[in-house]
Amino acid sequence: MNVLRGVPASPGLVIGIAQVLRPAPPVDIEARHTGDAAGEITRLEQAIQSALLRLDTLRGAASGQTAEILEAQREMLDDPELKQGAEELINDNLSAAAAITRVAASYAEQLASLPDEYLAARAEDVREAGRRIVAELRGISLEVRLTHPAILVAQDLAPAETVGLDPALLQGIVTEAGSATGHLAIVAQGLDIPAVVGAAGVLSQIAEGTTLIVDGAQGTVTIAPDEQSLKAAREHLAATQRDKQDLQIYRDRQGASADGIPIEVFANIGSVAEARKAVEMGAEGVGLFRTELLAAQGLPTEEEQYTIYAEVAAVLQRPLIIRTFDIGGDKPIPGLDIPPEANPFLGWRGIRLALDRPETVFLPQIRAILRTAVTHDLRIMLPMVATPPEVKQARELIEQAYQNLQKAGQSARRVPVGIMVETPAAALTLDHFKDLIDFASIGTNDLVQYTYAVDRTNAQVRERAQPLGLATLRLIKQICQTGIPIAVCGQLAGDVQAAPLLAGLGVRELSVAPARVPSIKRVLSTMTLAEMQNKAEEALQ
Amino acid sequence: MERTITLGSKSGLHARPAAVFVQHAKTFKSQIWLSKKDKTVSGKSILSVLALGAQQGDEILLKVDGADAEVAINRLVPLLEGDLG
Repeated sequence: MNVLRGVPASPGLVIGIAQVLRPAPPVDIEARHTGDAAGEITRLEQAIQSALLRLDTLRGAASGQTAEILEAQREMLDDPELKQGAEELINDNLSAAAAITRVAASYAEQLASLPDEYLAARAEDVREAGRRIVAELRGISLEVRLTHPAILVAQDLAPAETVGLDPALLQGIVTEAGSATGHLAIVAQGLDIPAVVGAAGVLSQIAEGTTLIVDGAQGTVTIAPDEQSLKAAREHLAATQRDKQDLQIYRDRQGASADGIPIEVFANIGSVAEARKAVEMGAEGVGLFRTELLAAQGLPTEEEQYTIYAEVAAVLQRPLIIRTFDIGGDKPIPGLDIPPEANPFLGWRGIRLALDRPETVFLPQIRAILRTAVTHDLRIMLPMVATPPEVKQARELIEQAYQNLQKAGQSARRVPVGIMVETPAAALTLDHFKDLIDFASIGTNDLVQYTYAVDRTNAQVRERAQPLGLATLRLIKQICQTGIPIAVCGQLAGDVQAAPLLAGLGVRELSVAPARVPSIKRVLSTMTLAEMQNKAEEALQ
Repeated sequence: MERTITLGSKSGLHARPAAVFVQHAKTFKSQIWLSKKDKTVSGKSILSVLALGAQQGDEILLKVDGADAEVAINRLVPLLEGDLG
């Protein structure tokens, strides 16, 4: 077994058999003909005509960018100067193949030296035109025929060569040359098949009929995989298949238990692009919009934030929970002077930073949210909360911001306010927050860290944290007994083992990575609420 | 007959626009040349037209010589000034 690396050109995983395209033997550009120049010129003319016919047939089957390139190639084959140049060389005793190859090479060099990238790339098309004519002269077909499902392995694949390939039999493409943005990548993506290009050594190391695993996303080609690799690949393929099916079935359904109890499945996002993905995957809303990602280049202004929140809300058209900046000493923000700390995760971050810097950090964000809320369903969520006075202070600032906007004649709307439950203090005393919040979302990533006293970025101890351990489950159970609507937005929510347990403990909203939405809806629908509650009870023993 | 035009095609004389131009040019008996700065090429050879490397906004001199020159100019000028696609 051997793994070769190349450039990912089209995502997907496939297990298949290699069909190898060996490059044509090079043309001897010194070759001479036997002295009959006129006869050699006639041979050239016939070869050009045959090549034109073949290309016309291919063009008929092509579409989009491929068709455009073939159209230009056809004109190249029919170019009077190409023929004229070759005829002159034939009269100088060079063979037709040598003559046409030299002329094509000369035009290719001219194009390759142009500053325009696109035109320079056309150099390859000219060489290809030359090769087509040579193939006709030799009487060899350049056509690639697939007779059974296979992964094509080649030096490179010209646009014309991709047209004739039967998509029902083509399972993947691997080439020695090529780039991630080249024509081949576009064709493979269009066909939705894995492709790896620029994989040095494929032609010398892969024999016809060898089993290959091609991972288009990673850019790897596994030659003659062992049982373990095959097993892993098969499992991956099965999971991908399941996910696809889940998406089709569950995209437009609401999250619910088998007996119809609604358990909302929302998405965690950090950008407009992720909001689109969330909608595509059937999320019923956004349970966490991580706004600190907007601050990578520095805190955005109120106007900048207003624009982004409005854009995300417009794309979403569903409830949107915006978490105020969860920034701290571990991620420096240009323009914000957070002094170095010994324990950034226990330091000046989240709501603490916001309340200590209301004018620069908290209020511009709040104003942007209240203004966007006039036309959209938004909610505010506060991070790193530990005690009720923090929320009280935050709410006073929020109300102040609302009043000031009104006085200034700007439209604004009050919105529901909730907190992240990620500190053990908040988890253990949530009932004391009842009159201050409209909802709460458990940040299990951080809650588990603090509860098990494990730094999740520390590989030495990472495994000692137990997201489904007794301590975590007891805390979640306690959190769910306060009567406040409870959601979970940590990684645990997107875990198919954990989701039913959480629902069984009383969680009624799970906010997960967009790609996880369908499978979480599916797992919830396989159990009645009573079954989930029983599972939770068992886990608490 | 001569005409100086400003190349209108958004993508310059790329593969598709060049192919379209050459296809039209070949339908005429007249000889056709394109010049950019001091470089002159045959308008019926796509390889030469591509090698001209003409971009949008470039000034191109179109020269047509022959019996159907006028018809040719009238067909080819709008092609070069417009968006060949």
